Amino acid sequence: MFRKVLVANRGEIAVRVMRALREMKIGSVAVYSDVDRNALHVRMADEAIPLGGSASSETYLRGDKIVAAAISCGAEAIHPGYGFLSENADFAALCLASGLVFIGPSASAIEKLGSKTSARDLAKKAGTPIPPGTEEALKSANEAKHIAQEIGYPVILKAAAGGGGKGMRRVEREEDIEAAFRDASSEAERSFRNADVYIEKFIVRPRHIEIQVLGDQFGHMIYLGERECSVQRRHQKVIEEAPSPFIAKYPELRQKMGEAAVAAALAAGYYNAGTVEFLADETGRFYFLEMNTRLQVEHPVTECITGIDLVKWQLRIAAGEHLTIQQDEVSIRGWAMECRLYAEDPDQGFLPSPGEITSLSLPGGPGVRLDSGVYEGWSVPLEYDPLLIKLIVWAETRQDAIARLERALEETHIGGIRTNIEFFLDVLADPAFQAGDLHTGFLDEWFLRRKKHTFSAEDLAAARKAAELAAKGRKIERVEPTARSKWKG
Amino acid sequence: MSIVKVERTVFSHLDGQRQRELRVDSEGDSFVVTLRGRQTRITIVDPRAWSGTGAGKAASGIAKVATPMPGKVIRVLVALGDKVEPGQGLVVVEAMKMQNELKSPIAGVIKQVQAVEGATVTANQVLAVVESDAS
Repeated sequence: MFRKVLVANRGEIAVRVMRALREMKIGSVAVYSDVDRNALHVRMADEAIPLGGSASSETYLRGDKIVAAAISCGAEAIHPGYGFLSENADFAALCLASGLVFIGPSASAIEKLGSKTSARDLAKKAGTPIPPGTEEALKSANEAKHIAQEIGYPVILKAAAGGGGKGMRRVEREEDIEAAFRDASSEAERSFRNADVYIEKFIVRPRHIEIQVLGDQFGHMIYLGERECSVQRRHQKVIEEAPSPFIAKYPELRQKMGEAAVAAALAAGYYNAGTVEFLADETGRFYFLEMNTRLQVEHPVTECITGIDLVKWQLRIAAGEHLTIQQDEVSIRGWAMECRLYAEDPDQGFLPSPGEITSLSLPGGPGVRLDSGVYEGWSVPLEYDPLLIKLIVWAETRQDAIARLERALEETHIGGIRTNIEFFLDVLADPAFQAGDLHTGFLDEWFLRRKKHTFSAEDLAAARKAAELAAKGRKIERVEPTARSKWKG
Repeated sequence: MSIVKVERTVFSHLDGQRQRELRVDSEGDSFVVTLRGRQTRITIVDPRAWSGTGAGKAASGIAKVATPMPGKVIRVLVALGDKVEPGQGLVVVEAMKMQNELKSPIAGVIKQVQAVEGATVTANQVLAVVESDAS
């Protein structure tokens, strides 16, 4: 096993990885940007090395600086977390060439699974169902029209090099396909300098269900059940759960999807932890979407229902150990659910809300797990992703998990900045959410029927009393400096 | 009725036996009060503590355009003396990978541009002033 590992990330995920390192008695090394000198991940580490600069592009995305830091401190391996360099094949190759272990899959597996068309091709060869459509780039609008007639409308045009919804067009009728092809290609060209577009059948009201896989370097791979992440805002997951309420309805799907995921991953020569994402339609048919070649943000829900520590296994597998868990030893117990608490203002179009956390209260009690990257008095920098804390709960049933999550959210308080806590409380109260009636457009529909909380007159009276007392206290405190200027900077 | 301060920003309120815990964070001249995760904003009017300059509020025919979020100015789209239409973008502010374009609420002429590309700005900072050309 390694003696020292560098964590090439920040925020809650760097803290999560360092906790595993500490428990395994492995030394941890943080890297940090100028604005992150006092960040929680630096406080958690045994050693910390500055990267110089603030923007991601000069710090956490600089593979050369990170490798140099690892070599200088004698670390043997690098854990990339998620985001930043975690799915960068060149970085994985650079680690290897520098005599360091990249804690993740091989560079060649990252590369094969990184392009959507090559990943689809691989999945298809492995017998994993893919949405009807083309695997290669379309040559013309006419070809698109021809294929759409075959597979049936609605269809979706997607940029081959794409992501994040760019270069995507949904087409309902034949008369729109030419214009959509033109738009998608030119948007793809502008966004990715690659105009290649392919076509797929559009799946109506799909669920996003993903399978966690874990495999060692000797070809042994298992699946650890599914997660459902259908509650998304602008393709960004906000609530994740495991197991999936859909698979609770169609239990035979778990094994089918699990085996399909393992087949696709093994076809790419994959090892370490990974996630195969599927879209499932209302009838229970499912299609390969893509594979994420790293630890996922939402990995804790899988850890809660399986009792398996994914980060520790990542470390053991990277160190060349055998995965000693067999598929029939994996059992799923209870229900887990996660909310991503962001520094953002749901009342102002989810605008980012960086700034100082002036007060902080965190939940506790049975079944609550908190993966946090923040502390009271710390200023959330504006340079990076707004994820502050992942709040995860476990309970015996889905209904109990929802009640527990609601209770834990009520106990959570992040003062001084805006967060999406209240937004989550409103979503959890929604009858369709409670019924597990989810699809990837769930939130778009929910916003239209959202019921906002209203305070009773008694609540408001109490709130006013508290504010009056705070105002008195503030006047006494404010004797020293004058009100903070809004004009600095 | 009884109310006690139990932590630096937390109050316990008893109305008979009914207990409520209230968290109070100050935000500018008002307070955000949180009750079991739910928030409301309360302003306590105290003339002696009043320090308002009226920044951001439109005087007749003048619109001060302020950024609702802190961030970095990445583009300034107008210059002094430019004519602008309602809804026209004036300044783009970026934070946490999200860009926000500040738009002119009125038709008019740019009277002031306080934004400089690359500068860090705080929430509610005025970045441009537009004077209505209707006068």
